[in-house]
Amino acid sequence: MRPEFAFASTAAAIAAAAVFTLARAQSESLVSGPGVGLAREKCQVCHELGHITRSRLSREEWSDNLHRMRQRGAQFDDREFAILLDYLAAYYGRDPAPPPAPDTLAAGAQGGDAVAGLLQTHACSACHAPDKRLVGPSFREVAQRYAGDAGAPRRLAQRIRTGSQGVWGPVPMPPAAAISDAELATLVEWVLSQK
Amino acid sequence: MDQSRRKFLEGAAGLGALALAGGALAQDKPAAKPDSAPPPGTIPNEVVKREKNPAMEYHSERPLTGSVPAHHHDFDVTPNDRMFIRNNLLTPDLDAAQHRLTIRGLVDRELSFSVEELKKAFPVITTQAMLECAGSGRTAFVPRASGTTWSPTGGMGCPMWTGVRLADLLRAAGLKANAAHVAGQGGDPGIVPTAPPVIRSIPMRKAMEEHTLVAWEMNGTPLPKVHGFPLRLVVPGWVGSASIKWLHTLSVLDAPFKGTYMDDSYRIPRYPVEPGTRMPPDAVSTEDWPVKSIITYPAPNARFKGSAPIPVRGRAWVGEGHVTRVEISVDEGKTWQRARLAPRGDKYAWRTFTFEYQPERFGYVTFLARAWDDRGNVQPIVPPWNPLGYFWNGIHRVGVIVEA
Repeated sequence: MRPEFAFASTAAAIAAAAVFTLARAQSESLVSGPGVGLAREKCQVCHELGHITRSRLSREEWSDNLHRMRQRGAQFDDREFAILLDYLAAYYGRDPAPPPAPDTLAAGAQGGDAVAGLLQTHACSACHAPDKRLVGPSFREVAQRYAGDAGAPRRLAQRIRTGSQGVWGPVPMPPAAAISDAELATLVEWVLSQK
Repeated sequence: MDQSRRKFLEGAAGLGALALAGGALAQDKPAAKPDSAPPPGTIPNEVVKREKNPAMEYHSERPLTGSVPAHHHDFDVTPNDRMFIRNNLLTPDLDAAQHRLTIRGLVDRELSFSVEELKKAFPVITTQAMLECAGSGRTAFVPRASGTTWSPTGGMGCPMWTGVRLADLLRAAGLKANAAHVAGQGGDPGIVPTAPPVIRSIPMRKAMEEHTLVAWEMNGTPLPKVHGFPLRLVVPGWVGSASIKWLHTLSVLDAPFKGTYMDDSYRIPRYPVEPGTRMPPDAVSTEDWPVKSIITYPAPNARFKGSAPIPVRGRAWVGEGHVTRVEISVDEGKTWQRARLAPRGDKYAWRTFTFEYQPERFGYVTFLARAWDDRGNVQPIVPPWNPLGYFWNGIHRVGVIVEA
């Protein structure tokens, strides 16, 4: 039989998430390395990062752990699962960890050095991150909003070049007037490919 | 959805809006401690901790977990302020006047009780009973197992509980022929909307056991909020997670409940596994705790003057059955001497043991305690490692200093 349990997810929980996300402690730090940004974002919504930093688990155990967290309500897709697993197994494994390394995902280098350079040159990174909301939406959020929208590349290119306001909130995005058509195409394609 | 649940949701939604507005205001004047913002409909950790003993050691804030070390457990009955805290989600702020308990599933008639109705409907039972988190003692496992970092002696307590027998409720509802398990659901909200509710089931033999209670009092006072106010299950001797807090729904099932708190946690390999490996497919659900004891006096590294006898005290328990013998060794386990056991109290209460040590030399002296149960089990030298670090019941060792 299938019991009809009331689902405990509530408005309270949603509001609590918002409060916690705003208020999460900045003092805890994870070892820098590929995937650290994603780990920080996904894990500390529900628990402090100490749950990770004090752990030393095998890759298989981390895999089971991530599976369990997903069952407990953590939101990440299979690609993110793989990134998180690589990160945790490398830096919080039972074997000695490699030295800290840049978080390539957060640096935007995931799409290649060209994209990373463009994000820096045109100051996109000041307000946007791949997977978390800073001043503006994350690149992933943008990609999700426009998934399957054939007109999105053109509109997005326009907004990047001339600036935009009111789509994601009241804070305006300044124009990137100096960007070339080729650069714009590269950026738009990269942003919309984020998952 | 029952009435109290709906009320809870409505109330929580209203509070949520208030709290968000408050949060927006708070941005003008940054709070000193950002994490102290109380999630709506819940009790902030700071408020929970105010009622707790200063000896409490908190292992995590989200979810809140904490316990006192063994030498702060030197009581026959665990006081409320020393009872361990193990939340899976947030501590809800429930209204006893609005709260209802519903019994449904494989029953002849679905029943629903307010807390006051429950108190009048069935015989009220008070019993002292042991609760211990499945992961209590986890940090003693080598290599470290995954989960809350309970100290080797943390995560248990044995208060007095007052409530009604779960068996009486189930009989009143009438069990169908295929009724085999009873699942309890707690009203604790998750931090994210995708968090599933805490639901665990127990087999009917334990549900019908006369000490399994739906309780509203702990040591003669209403349950503290963090310990399940206004209603909780007390499934004595079994892993603490079976004793669902903030209980609002009991569902009678024909099989164990399927859910993350049954299938992803609280499982243990049927046979010991190689340390550091993952959970084997033939794992089973954790139920009753194996035999265990702790030395609650003296405290580690306590100093004693001269050659006067040193009293040694502790508590011993087992999930099912009873403790038959506790032994003390003062020579690192070469020889064992029997401790005196207090008379057996309530079926699931821990038993106090005492031993008098006559110092034979100055310096560092150690006491080891090990308990035996009526099935011939004894605390192991090294409890078997398991992936989630459950059931640590290794021998507790306390050293003191005897000075001239």
